[in-house]
Amino acid sequence: MTHSGPPRRHTGAWVLVTILLLVAVLGTLIVPIYARSSPKLGSFPFFYWYQLLWVPVTALLTTICYLITTRVSRPARHGGGGEAAAAPLGGQPRGGQPLGGPGEAS
Amino acid sequence: MTHINAVSFTILVVLFAVVTLVGFAAVRWRRAEDVLHLNEWGLGGRGFGSFITWFLLGGDLYTAYTFIAVPALVYGTGAAGFFALSYTIMVYPIVFVFLPRLWSVARVHGYITPADFIRGRYGSRGLALAVAFTGILAVMPYIALQLVGIQAVLTVMGIGGSATTGFVHDLPLIIAFLILAGYTFVSGLRAPALIAFIKDTLVYVMIIVAIIYIPIRVGGWGHIFSVADTHLKTTNPKTGKPNGSLILEPAGMWAYSTLALGSALALFMYPHTITGVFAAKRRNVIRRNVAALPVYSLVLGLIALLGYMALAAPGVPAEVKAHDANAQLAVPFLFQRIFPSWFAGVGFAAIVIGALVPAAIMAIAAANLFARNVYKEYLRPNASDAEQTRASQWASLVVKLGALLFVLFVKQTYAIQFQLLGGIWIVQTFPAIVAGLYTRWFHRWALVIGWAVAMVFGTIAAYRLPAPGEPGTHFGASADTLPIINHTIYIGLTGLVINLVIAVVLTFVFRVVKLPGGADETRPEHYVADPEPASAEPVPVAAGAADVA
Repeated sequence: MTHSGPPRRHTGAWVLVTILLLVAVLGTLIVPIYARSSPKLGSFPFFYWYQLLWVPVTALLTTICYLITTRVSRPARHGGGGEAAAAPLGGQPRGGQPLGGPGEAS
Repeated sequence: MTHINAVSFTILVVLFAVVTLVGFAAVRWRRAEDVLHLNEWGLGGRGFGSFITWFLLGGDLYTAYTFIAVPALVYGTGAAGFFALSYTIMVYPIVFVFLPRLWSVARVHGYITPADFIRGRYGSRGLALAVAFTGILAVMPYIALQLVGIQAVLTVMGIGGSATTGFVHDLPLIIAFLILAGYTFVSGLRAPALIAFIKDTLVYVMIIVAIIYIPIRVGGWGHIFSVADTHLKTTNPKTGKPNGSLILEPAGMWAYSTLALGSALALFMYPHTITGVFAAKRRNVIRRNVAALPVYSLVLGLIALLGYMALAAPGVPAEVKAHDANAQLAVPFLFQRIFPSWFAGVGFAAIVIGALVPAAIMAIAAANLFARNVYKEYLRPNASDAEQTRASQWASLVVKLGALLFVLFVKQTYAIQFQLLGGIWIVQTFPAIVAGLYTRWFHRWALVIGWAVAMVFGTIAAYRLPAPGEPGTHFGASADTLPIINHTIYIGLTGLVINLVIAVVLTFVFRVVKLPGGADETRPEHYVADPEPASAEPVPVAAGAADVA
């Protein structure tokens, strides 16, 4: 298959996307990181300004991920429409196999 | 009894009238040739770009939950209420991963509901019915929460709720509800999509003014946090424990993070959020929006702080106490006490309209589930598109009526429990939907049984929990102590683990005994497809893919 190359070539990009998203989630999931009152920012205890700050941080991380995913998937898209996007996977067998991780989603 | 402020009332009524007109006129917006197709009524023609989708999803995700329920919890318990901010932060990185795949497969096959996808993927009418049932059930308390929000505003304004008695006491709510039902029936998803612009404008104006103006009026942030701290340390006579804490105590951490994670996993399983996603024009619109939607989370965080401002505002805690200690009234009373009456009217309108938009989308989404996965699937297999749309329109009325009954007859200490109860149910569809986007490994019947056990477990576990300090009540909390690890965990998440374990084990068993797995009408390439928007027809990407059903 001539098209089996692209997904593998971008493995690094997908690993990066996964890491960035994981950081974004863990930032507020691990509560002991921020369940404290100092350092304060103005009158705001750490607990509050840390979480509020994490909103733009998450937005930034997901934006970076968005830019990476659009860049990575662009070569498969140039014909426009579903056929082009489908081409790299067209020859794969169907069945109960996992269809891949977050990786190949464009 | 509260005196009705004529200025606030007039502003609210005028803005409500504008929204009503827009709602009915929306039927002409981006008008389609074939109005009586569910793609049109139920998904607004599947043609919304990034900009409209951002407003629609914002209008859809940020509801009376944000404006009333979360600040009420912060007002009453402090830091514990902030799990909602953590939840709306982590939801976007999570859905970034799988939502585009769901959009693509739905576009290729013309799926209108999540249950449509389940039916196509697993070839299972039973599992699809389970998902549809869960969606309709879970959305009802969520709509009820919207009505609670409206009721809170009306009560504070002195034109309904606990301010009057008898039938009249619910009349304003019923009128608002009838108008909502009317334009939803006529315009479908176009109504909330268009009204969302007005709603968000009002909300942003309201929160920017509130976050600057109120701290100046009540004595600064330092004062707000110190009053809140003092109040939260005070012992609650009903429970014999402090009201809460300004900084989360170690004992509350597990509940905090599991409530946040469980809610985040649940959010995009709700039919109304999936409806907002399916209405998008292109695959790219989804990820672009996921990156831009956190702006609303910032608003949610600031609105949550209104709970503390209400504690620090002179007269507000006394008013809340005088009204049955209903914490849901904290933000409306704050507006009434602090803002000039015309701006209080704007704030009230923001809350009311902010509750009506999602209520409309929720009702539409639940109605679509009924029309597609119950009516057409089981009752009238040959129903035409027009007939399905008719069924959906009427079902939207029934769903809203169910929610209205919920509000009129169920007393709640914290309205947020409505939403958390919905989450306990809807998150049980996560394994079937999200795993299904990646693999057909799970057996359809294993998923059905895992779902059923988790639904029963979650419902019983939530039923048994009384509200804090009110023994004998039910559905009063959503997190319970888990015996083995001895931490307080969100029941929805415990249910999800039970659900997954059963699904995995039974899948192994069913594969060994070779129970038929059902046909799969989707193909790997459908999950990454990005077809050009077509009018009403599903776009055939792979020949022969659509004829399996």
